[in-house]
Amino acid sequence: MRDLWWLLGYSLRRVRSLVLAVGLLLGGFQLVLIAVANSLQGSDAFGQLENLVPPFARELMGPSVTAMLSFQGIVCLGYYHLAVMGSLVALSISLATMPTSEVETGFIDLILARPLARHWIITRSILVVVLCTAGPVVLMMAGTWIGLGTLVRAGVAWPSAKLILSLVANLGLLLLCWGGIAMAIGSVSRRRGVAGGLAGFAALATFLLDYVGRIWRPVESVAWLSPFRYYSPSDLVMGNPLPRSNLWALAGTAVAGYALAYLLFSRRDISR
Amino acid sequence: MRQRLRIANLKVPKHAAAVSLHGVSKRYRNLLAVHDLTLEVTPGEILGFLGPNGAGKTSTIRVLLDLIRPTTGQAFIFGHDCQASGIEARALAGYLPGEMGVYSDMAGREVLDLLGGLTRQPVRKQYQCELQERLELKEADLRRKLREYSTGMKRKLGLMQALQAEPPLLILDEPTDGLDPLMQEAFYELLQEARGKGQTVFMSSHVLSEVERICDRIALLRGGELALLSTVAEVRKLAPRRITVVFREDVTAAPTLPGGHKVVGVSPRCWQLEVEGALGNLVSILSSLPVEDIQIEQPRLEDVLVKYYGGGPK
Repeated sequence: MRDLWWLLGYSLRRVRSLVLAVGLLLGGFQLVLIAVANSLQGSDAFGQLENLVPPFARELMGPSVTAMLSFQGIVCLGYYHLAVMGSLVALSISLATMPTSEVETGFIDLILARPLARHWIITRSILVVVLCTAGPVVLMMAGTWIGLGTLVRAGVAWPSAKLILSLVANLGLLLLCWGGIAMAIGSVSRRRGVAGGLAGFAALATFLLDYVGRIWRPVESVAWLSPFRYYSPSDLVMGNPLPRSNLWALAGTAVAGYALAYLLFSRRDISR
Repeated sequence: MRQRLRIANLKVPKHAAAVSLHGVSKRYRNLLAVHDLTLEVTPGEILGFLGPNGAGKTSTIRVLLDLIRPTTGQAFIFGHDCQASGIEARALAGYLPGEMGVYSDMAGREVLDLLGGLTRQPVRKQYQCELQERLELKEADLRRKLREYSTGMKRKLGLMQALQAEPPLLILDEPTDGLDPLMQEAFYELLQEARGKGQTVFMSSHVLSEVERICDRIALLRGGELALLSTVAEVRKLAPRRITVVFREDVTAAPTLPGGHKVVGVSPRCWQLEVEGALGNLVSILSSLPVEDIQIEQPRLEDVLVKYYGGGPK
């Protein structure tokens, strides 16, 4: 176990700057969103914004339009904005392909030439993914509370803690799910670029699958394959509870990915 | 006095070969990299592991470290199965890869500390400092990022990380590649001392003069198979001795020599010969000739090994 902590400490030191930078950026984004939401609230502009949405779009989005174009909706936007989700999924994939990077550089030769079991490499990487995706999400959450506490005028109803925590839990599991998928791919790859590229492509493809599935019935039958189907922030913002089935689906995929990574990495030949 | 090997924390079975390979084969799809390799390395010896590029040396080393799995056969380090008990086996080994795969944004000291922390046997600070001094790696150098390191400095860092925990077995893949002559000397001294302490060295090399100088035995792989396994002294005997005979006056008669003697060059005042085996016959032939001087060149390991590299005897 001592070796695991030793290796984990080294790995965390390597990625700390990246993780901190992403976390601060996204935390800062929360503050900006809250400032915007506060300004819109002050000028009573949410109604006008809703009127600007074309009827077909309103029909497509259903009642979630009202929920999204509210103080709560704008504050929570930081948890499902495409740029935020994209950067967090990219971070998760990048962290999960750490073993592949070590194989590519040959650094793993030096590590595994020591009395260290191979499974510690995967365990270490899972811990890195968990800790380093949790970091930015926690900073986002901190940004939300700090912003609400300092920037919002009195009398404005804040999003509930339950809503924020549900969004965080759902988003966190989505990130762990992509970490698992990327790690499984990386466990048989020699190049981080290939593993990351494949996982990134899969993320984009499944995101589009989910998106198209929501607006075009024929695709809906296969949209369940997309992990993004199990992240439903608009439902949460509308006040619906977080479905447990979503959590199970994401957690199950993540666990399957990590288990596959253990299996594949323990059997592979380590060579560049 | 022979220094004792620091193996207090490690289980080194007595009477076990330091390295033992039993019928090891490794196939990569259509390529048979190593074929039925059987080899034993005695504790305390320095074995030179030779062969042309692609002969299977690195694959064999990687099997020992369980980085790759043999298709058939078994490998052992001090009696520990490298696959089934890989952790115990690797606890007894220090490894220098042919190419140091390190992140360029890491500092040298960071590499040493990380890898030193992953060994079973704690690194003795005093020995680490001694290595640092002898390999001329200053503390300021170790604080620099590896992107600023030259090839030679990376090699020295590689040697330090392999040697620092004083493991009973050193597995070195082309250790002097990129080292300047002075550092090569320092490295040879370190190896001699390691042998003196009872450490075993299993090293691959292309530098035949270095193998001749520091190795006790050599194992030569060719096409994944063991083509030669012998002591350096025995291999040297396989090489013909080069003899130059200088005459006081012109000798016009053509040399008539028995088997095992080969004429390389003839002039009235000088014969150049290659002789395999004992020189007795040659001496009796020359006794009737006006010999002024006889120069005998010691056979070089290179002369024998080059033939193997080139696809010669098996």
